[in-house]
Amino acid sequence: MTVQTGVFAAYFVVVFAIGWISLRRTASDEDYWIAGGDLGWFVGGATLAATHTSAGTFVGTIGVMYTAGWSFGWVLLSIPLAYWFVAAVLAPRFTRVRQLTLPAFIEARYYSKRVRGLAAAIVLVATVVYIQAQIVAGGLVANIVFGLPVQQGMVLFTLVLLAYTVVGGMVAVVYTDAFQLVVMCLGAALALPLTVRQVDGWGRLFELVESAQPTVFAWGTLPATLLFTMGLAFFLGSVATPEKLIRLYAMKDMPTIRRGVFFAVVVVTCLNLTVFLMALGAIVLFPNLPTGDLAMPMVATAVLPPALGAMMLAAITAAMMSTVDSLLIVAGSALSVDLYQNLVDPDASPRRRAWVDRTGIVVVGLVPLVLLLSGVGEGELVQFIVLLFTALMAASFALPVVGGVLWRRATREGAASAMVGGVLSTFAWEVFGSEAIDPVLPGIIVSAVLFVGVSLATPPPPAAAVAPYFERDPKPDGSRG
Amino acid sequence: MNGPGFIFWGLFAACGLILVGYALWMWWTER
Repeated sequence: MTVQTGVFAAYFVVVFAIGWISLRRTASDEDYWIAGGDLGWFVGGATLAATHTSAGTFVGTIGVMYTAGWSFGWVLLSIPLAYWFVAAVLAPRFTRVRQLTLPAFIEARYYSKRVRGLAAAIVLVATVVYIQAQIVAGGLVANIVFGLPVQQGMVLFTLVLLAYTVVGGMVAVVYTDAFQLVVMCLGAALALPLTVRQVDGWGRLFELVESAQPTVFAWGTLPATLLFTMGLAFFLGSVATPEKLIRLYAMKDMPTIRRGVFFAVVVVTCLNLTVFLMALGAIVLFPNLPTGDLAMPMVATAVLPPALGAMMLAAITAAMMSTVDSLLIVAGSALSVDLYQNLVDPDASPRRRAWVDRTGIVVVGLVPLVLLLSGVGEGELVQFIVLLFTALMAASFALPVVGGVLWRRATREGAASAMVGGVLSTFAWEVFGSEAIDPVLPGIIVSAVLFVGVSLATPPPPAAAVAPYFERDPKPDGSRG
Repeated sequence: MNGPGFIFWGLFAACGLILVGYALWMWWTER
């Protein structure tokens, strides 16, 4: 326990130090929300990879793998394909006008403050649910590391996160993300060989896995329709979630984005494959866990030597914190910039804006914590909450964002109805629909039909709104919206 | 290759191919 506490103390000290150093670099709104918009490929790619990799990967994915077997792993293929699509098709158009938030892009492209407010409201609600899932996982880790009751663990986890995110904004987030990515890679890279050795080496791994759980390498443990539609959800989720899109605005230019996204995708793919292999180890070593979510914490505490186990738990924590801090930024900016400043108080002084920015982040961090402590939304398998969030975001924003930069005729009415229709149909499917199909499929179909149908039925968009995204000539001049 | 071998190593190979594709595209775009 002392080694664990030591590793965690050192880890928190570094994170806090980065947060406080960042404070000096947050002079403007732009610094606070997109880290000044001049990140290089390494930090830009690292923050993208760290944001992508969450408790969903280190606790959830290994959990699903443990329960449902290797066929789930194939869903991973959609992630590199999605990021390639982002770098090749979406980013060159999406970043022509640099914005501070995704809803700000929606306002610029769809010439409407109200549609922006709608986008911000969707971001806000969906993100709070996602933050909740990650706080639950944070509480579980704190329970294992410090022996705290889960509820106190959740409080500790949230306060640590808020401390550096509120102070340093996006600057603190991207640099702590880079550090946390290093912790994740180290943890995973050190833990894998030890886990495999415990299982009796690579040679007998397959054999042992199959005798412990014969269905691991069989197709059909998850329905094929579910695998394909989950793949679609991961694809669209990598393309159209605000915490990823905003990182395109944070990077300097297109060559930087191409390299940064490549770097991120290599790291994300390798981390996932490492985690998959550790799931195999967990199946052999702990064949009878009550829930798959316990597989990784069990490996960390019962298989690895104490210092390494602590390192692995720090890696899990790093995965969660680096995702939740990015979501705090997204939700905080939706509340402060897109809702408050955009609709309520457009003439606020810079000083007042700075206060509103920070208050927004505190609010979106405390609301999910309070909900959890009062018993709302506990006890779900982390990976399925991650999937629901991804499905909601993808179904509401994929069409307005991707369609908006590829199809000139898209109108604000089309975008608004695509967002609302996408959210409602995704949610309805989650509640009433078949479990063999990920809710993103009905969501995206409804969203697409509304996007095209309503756009064609309403007057075309004004030329001034679409020009920046479609005219070849005006080179991106770094002008900020 | 069949059974565990295919479903297991096939995934690694497929991921590798996509990443190589991305790298080649990046080289081709910036050449």
